[in-house]
Amino acid sequence: MSTEAIPAEKSKRNYNALFGLTLLALLVLLWVILSLSTSSFASANNISNLLRQGSMIAILAVGQTFVIITGGIDLSVGAVVGFATVIAAMLINAGIPVFLAIAITLLVGVAIGLFHGFGIVKMGLPPFIITLATLTSLRGIGLLMTNGNSISINNDAFQEFSRNSFLGVPNLFWMVILVGIPAYIFLHHSRWGRYLFSVGSNAEASRLSGVNVQRTIYMAYTLSGLCAAFVGVLLASRIGIGNPTQAEGWELQAIASSVIGGTSLFGAVGSVHGPLLGAFILATINNGANLLNVNAFWQRIITGVLIIVIVYFDGLRRRGGK
Amino acid sequence: MTSTAQDLHPAPVLEPGRTILELRGLEKKYPGTHALKPVTLAFKSGEIHAIVGENGAGKSTLIKLLTGVMPRTSGEVIWEGNPAALATPHEAMALGINAVHQEVVLCRHLTVAANMFLGEENSRFGILQQRVMVKEAQKIIDDLGFDLPAHVMLGDLTIGQQQLIAAARATVRGTKFLIFDEPTAYLTRKEADQLFTLIRRLKSEGVTIIYISHRMEEVFELADRVSVLRDGTLVGTRNIAETNDAELVKLMINRSIEQVYHKEHFTPGAAIVETRNLSGKGFENVSMTVRAGEIVGLYGLIGAGRSEFVTTLYGRHRKSAGQILWEGKPVQVNSEHDAIRLGMALAPESRRDQGLCLNLPVGLNLNLPIYKRISKNLLISGAQEKAQADRQIADLRIKTPTRHALASSLSGGNQQKIVIGKWLAHGAKLFIFDEPTVGVDVGTKAEIYRLFGALLSKGAGIILISSYLPEVYELADTLHVFRRGKLVATHGFRTADHEEILTQALAEKQEKLGGKI
Ligand SMILES: Nc1ncnc2c1ncn2[C@@H]1O[C@H](COP(=O)(O)OP(=O)(O)OP(=O)(O)O)[C@@H](O)[C@H]1O
Ligand SMILES: [Mg+2]
Repeated sequence: MSTEAIPAEKSKRNYNALFGLTLLALLVLLWVILSLSTSSFASANNISNLLRQGSMIAILAVGQTFVIITGGIDLSVGAVVGFATVIAAMLINAGIPVFLAIAITLLVGVAIGLFHGFGIVKMGLPPFIITLATLTSLRGIGLLMTNGNSISINNDAFQEFSRNSFLGVPNLFWMVILVGIPAYIFLHHSRWGRYLFSVGSNAEASRLSGVNVQRTIYMAYTLSGLCAAFVGVLLASRIGIGNPTQAEGWELQAIASSVIGGTSLFGAVGSVHGPLLGAFILATINNGANLLNVNAFWQRIITGVLIIVIVYFDGLRRRGGK
Repeated sequence: MTSTAQDLHPAPVLEPGRTILELRGLEKKYPGTHALKPVTLAFKSGEIHAIVGENGAGKSTLIKLLTGVMPRTSGEVIWEGNPAALATPHEAMALGINAVHQEVVLCRHLTVAANMFLGEENSRFGILQQRVMVKEAQKIIDDLGFDLPAHVMLGDLTIGQQQLIAAARATVRGTKFLIFDEPTAYLTRKEADQLFTLIRRLKSEGVTIIYISHRMEEVFELADRVSVLRDGTLVGTRNIAETNDAELVKLMINRSIEQVYHKEHFTPGAAIVETRNLSGKGFENVSMTVRAGEIVGLYGLIGAGRSEFVTTLYGRHRKSAGQILWEGKPVQVNSEHDAIRLGMALAPESRRDQGLCLNLPVGLNLNLPIYKRISKNLLISGAQEKAQADRQIADLRIKTPTRHALASSLSGGNQQKIVIGKWLAHGAKLFIFDEPTVGVDVGTKAEIYRLFGALLSKGAGIILISSYLPEVYELADTLHVFRRGKLVATHGFRTADHEEILTQALAEKQEKLGGKI
C-alpha cells in the first residue's frame, strides 16, 4: 500500500482553516486599504459602528449556515427579525420584565423554526417554499398587530445595552462571540453537528446509519429561528422601535455572508468562522463605500461580484483535487 | 426510424490483431495519491482484454483517462496510429471509445428509454417522439435478451438492472472500443450470462473490449489476454491460455492466498430474530429464523425481493402483514431507529445512494453509527473518534491517505469497505449484509469473511445477501432461495449443489418463457 502522503493532502485536511485565513486576510486587507484611503475609517467611532452593523448579520449567518449545511435554506430570517422587534417592543411596553420579554421573544423564534421543520418533515414542503411563505406572512401578521405603526420602546436600560461597550468593544460584537463559541463547539465538536453534515450529504445513508434525520432538520431550522429572534431583540434595542418591516432583505445578506464564508448551497460543507468573517467583509464593503461616497447602488453590485468571485475560486480549489 | 438494433452498431471494418489503441507512459497523479505510474500497453483490435488488480490499484483511473473523464498527468495515447488528447468524454465518444463505468452515471429521474438515448435525442427523434423512443429502446433491450421495461424510471430499477441498461446504452452508439468496469458486480449468474453473450457478440463484430473484474472465473471465461495492475504499476500481461488463477493472484497482491472462503462453524445458539409470514412491498409470506452464531444466506435473482425483505425487517419500509420476533418476543419495528435500538445493523446494497456520505471524510462515514457511543453528552471524544476510524481503516485495509480524505476520492472497492466497516464496531446482534463484497478484491474478501467469523464468535447472527452464488454457498449455514418475492427453498450448509439452487431461483421464469414458446 504505497499511498504517499504528498503535502497536498495535508493542505486539503487543513482546507477549512486555510480558507478561513484567506478570508481573514481579505478582511484585514480591506481595512488597511480603507484606513489609508480615507481619514475617517480608522476612527474608533467608525470601527464601533462597523462592528455593530456587521454583528447582527453575522449572527443571522450562523443560523443560516446550519440550515444550508443540511441542504436547505431559510428565507424567513429577515422577517423573523422584524417580527421579533414587534414582540419585544410590545412585551416591554406592557411592563413585562426585560429578561422575560427577551425569553418570550426567543421562544417565538424557536416556535417559528419548529413550524418550518414541521412543514419540511411532515408536510413534505421544500424549504424554499415554506420559509418563503413565512417571510411574507410574518410581515403581514406583524403589520396587523401594529396596525402598520411603529412601536417606540419606552425602556432606556434596554436601549442602553446596544449603545454601550465592554472593554472598549461594542456589546453587540460581544453577542457575536456569545453566539459564535457555542455554535462552533456545536457544529465541529458535537454529535449533532456531525449529523447536520451527514444529513446534508446523504439523508438516506444517514437514516440507515441510525441518524434521526427528522430531528436534525427540526434542529437546524429551530436554531436559525432562534438566532433570528435574538437578532430581533438586538435590533429593537439598537433602534428602539418595534416595526415588522425592519430588516428587509437581511435574509439575502445572511445567505451571502454564509456563502462568502465557504458554505456550499448543495449542503454538507460549511463552518462557523467562515460566515462570521463573510458578514464582516460585507459590512466593511458597505461601510467603506459610504465613506468613499460610492453610490449606494454600486455597493449592491460590488457585493454581487464578490459573491461570484469568492465562490468561483472556492469551487476551483475544491474541484482541483478531483 | 426504421433502423434495427443490428445496424445501430455497424461492424467496424478492422482487421483483427492490429493495434487499435496504444498507451505510452500513461500516468495519473491525484493530490496525495500516485494512482497510475507510467503504463505502456497496446490493445489489439477485436480482443477482449481483462484488467485485474487489488482495490485502488488504478483500474478505474486508467478507464477514466481513456474516456476523457479525467485529464492525464503525462504520457501519450495513440488511437489508430494518431495521438489522441482525450480531453473530454465527447472526444472519446467521437473516436468510438465508450465505457460502462463502475458507478452507474445515468439519470435516475428519466425513463430507461430516455437514458438510452441521452445526449442524442434530438438527432434521432424529433421533439415529442416519446413513444417512438420507448418502442425503439424496448426493441434494443429485447434484442440484447435483457428482460427489462423501457418505459419505467431508471431509479425504479435495481443497481444491477441499471448496469445492464448502461451496457445497452454503450452498445447503441457506434462503438469501436468498449470498456466494462466491473459490470457484473451486482448481477446474478443469469444476468451475467446475458451480458457475456452481448460482449461476445460485440467481439465478433470487431469491437475491442476492456473487461475489469475481481472474479477470476469471468476473466478466464471471457478474456483473450489479461493485464495486472498493482499499486498503479502494470506488473504483467499474459495470454489467457498461458496463465492460471494462482499466478494472477500472486501478481496482483504479491503473495498467495490459500483460502478465500474462510468458514468457521459455531453451534447455533438461541434465535435472535424470527419472521412469521412477513409481507411487504416486493415480497410475501417470508418466514425465517436467524440464530446466534449462524450465517443465513439469501440467494435469488435481481429483483427477487431479498433487499426489500431485509429493509422492511430493518424498519425502513412498512410491512403489510406478518410478525417479527426479537429474541422470542413480538416487536414492532417502525423505523430504522427501532431496529438499531434492538440491535440490528444494515450494510445496504447501494453504496452511493444508501451507504455513504460521499462528500464527507472517510472517518465521519465510519463513525456515523457510533457517534452516540464515542461522545459524552453531546461532545465527541476526539481521541476515540480517531482511534475507531483508524482501527477500521487498518482492519479492512481501506486504502486512503488519511481518515480526513473524502469518501468520494476512494476507489470503488475501498468505498465498499466503509459501508461494511462502519458497523463492525457497533456491537449489534444481527448484522444484515446486502451484497457486502461488491467490487472488493480477493485479498480483502478473505479478510471480510474472517471478520464475519469474529462477529459470529461473539454471538451475533448474520443475514448475508449475495447475487454471487459461490459466496452464499460457501458461507451460509442456512441458505434460503428467493424467487419473485417468495422464499421457495431452504438448504443447509452445502447440502444442495449449485445447479439445483440456480434452478430454484430461476424456475418460474423458465416455465413462463416455456409457456410462451
Ligand atoms: N478523485 C480522486 N481524488 C484522489 N484520489 C483518487 C481519486 N480517485 C481515485 N483516487 C485514488 O486513486 C487510486 C486508484 O483508484 P482507482 O479507482 O483507479 O482504483 P481501482 O483499481 O479501480 O479499484 P477498485 O477495484 O476498488 O475499483 C486509489 O488509491 C484512490 O484512492
Ligand atoms: Mg474501480
